[in-house]
Amino acid sequence: MAREVKLTRVLVVEDDVDIQKVIRMSLKMRGVAEIVLVEGGAECFERLSSFAPDVILLDVMMPHLDGYEICRRLKQDAATRAIPVVFLTARVQKADRERGMKLGALGYLTKPFDPMTLHDQIVALVSGTAGGKEQEGGTGK
Amino acid sequence: MMPERNILDSLGSGLVVLDERDRVSFMNRTLAEMLHATQEEWLGRSSGELALVMARFAQPVASPRFDWPEAFGSRDIEWRDGETLRFFREDSSPLAAEGAQENAGKGRVFAYHDVSHEKAVDRMKSEFISVASHELRTPMTSIKGSVDLILSGFAGETSPEMQELLEIAQKSCDRLVRLVNDILDLSKIEAGQLKLNLERLDVTEIAVRAICAVKPLADKNDVRLRVDRPLPLPIVEADPDRIEQAITNLLSNAVKFSPSKSEVVVELSSDNLWVQCAVCDQGAGIAEKDLHRIFGKFQQLSEGRRKGGTGLGLAITRGLIDEHRGSIWVESRVGQGSRFIFRLPIAAPPSPPGTPAMAGQAVKP
Repeated sequence: MAREVKLTRVLVVEDDVDIQKVIRMSLKMRGVAEIVLVEGGAECFERLSSFAPDVILLDVMMPHLDGYEICRRLKQDAATRAIPVVFLTARVQKADRERGMKLGALGYLTKPFDPMTLHDQIVALVSGTAGGKEQEGGTGK
Repeated sequence: MMPERNILDSLGSGLVVLDERDRVSFMNRTLAEMLHATQEEWLGRSSGELALVMARFAQPVASPRFDWPEAFGSRDIEWRDGETLRFFREDSSPLAAEGAQENAGKGRVFAYHDVSHEKAVDRMKSEFISVASHELRTPMTSIKGSVDLILSGFAGETSPEMQELLEIAQKSCDRLVRLVNDILDLSKIEAGQLKLNLERLDVTEIAVRAICAVKPLADKNDVRLRVDRPLPLPIVEADPDRIEQAITNLLSNAVKFSPSKSEVVVELSSDNLWVQCAVCDQGAGIAEKDLHRIFGKFQQLSEGRRKGGTGLGLAITRGLIDEHRGSIWVESRVGQGSRFIFRLPIAAPPSPPGTPAMAGQAVKP
């Protein structure tokens, strides 16, 4: 039976600093205690050696390593495999979603997202209470 | 005067004529070369043999699941010859017989036009729109996120004037998102890159899902939604998400243009060939002079723009229905509401287990 998870630690992998700020405020508003923001894959792997998040919020289009590759590596590594990954991306096409989900992500949210419901959507995914694994994060499809 | 055969052999397009017994009565040089054969080799051979040989090269790019329509048909096929990939548009029509009309339709002519260049341009256009859509989403995410957060009161109190101005920004941003989504959808449809995940389904279930999606808007506008289905429907083969998108578009429009306390009805019916879905409203109706352009791009009437429409919803809906080999039209009169109606072909019964697929069926000329 699904149980509701309380989010306390979130790692956000997002290269756009303005979107980082919006995500941080949106999660902070809902009481998430530790929100770590990183700009790319290298920094993400580095932070994971000392930070154990409840969930990783992952952008796709980023320089050097894209989100798909980061997810693939996270799921290959026994040390990080169990951390839930939720994509939060501007890549909205069906094929992009399918690719993300096949890599072992827990959910696929799209930009623009609603900052008022982002927290609840992540909680629903992590708790296993979301209606479907693939969701629209934003308003309007 | 140049002999007709020389003219036909000089065409850049391939050409084959099948007689009333479905045998090759003429093949031009271009098509023979495409098949690595001579024209003479093919004379008198059956369409089945031709289909088998063509299957080595061709695979339909779109709609491989449908047989040829009765009269005229056109589809795009991918033509692989070793390492070379080209795209051809295959046009098929009944052979026009000279004089007596009763001979018309005895035999068919098939033409193969090289559309590789057009396909490449379409692909580039579609890729550009896809990248542009992504690039637009990034700043829109920041704008929308910031505005939503301020409006929530997270950043402190706002004056009523600030609140009003921010609500305008929020509404416009939402509209921009819808516009970007619609442009992306339409570009895929126009480039023939929409991938349909076909399933055997009952349109009733899809209509109910669409109604659930539109219900919040209907409640807000005080409009009642209802499905009217007197009899069970035959099964169609369709992509459930795309048909839901089509019905949702029609329902949202109907709700937006309906007076409060009125009703929008989804009427489902069928005959021997089609399942029909009509979305009927009791709105102001559409003037006759506007009916012909209603499915065009950015052809919304002034009222539509005021209601936050993108001007692409009906063009997308028509594209989605066309992709399913269906048809869509509107019936409306000023003051008497509108009926947007589409039809989807009824699916053939499923093949019994163990039945082999017909060789070359998908490329049957």
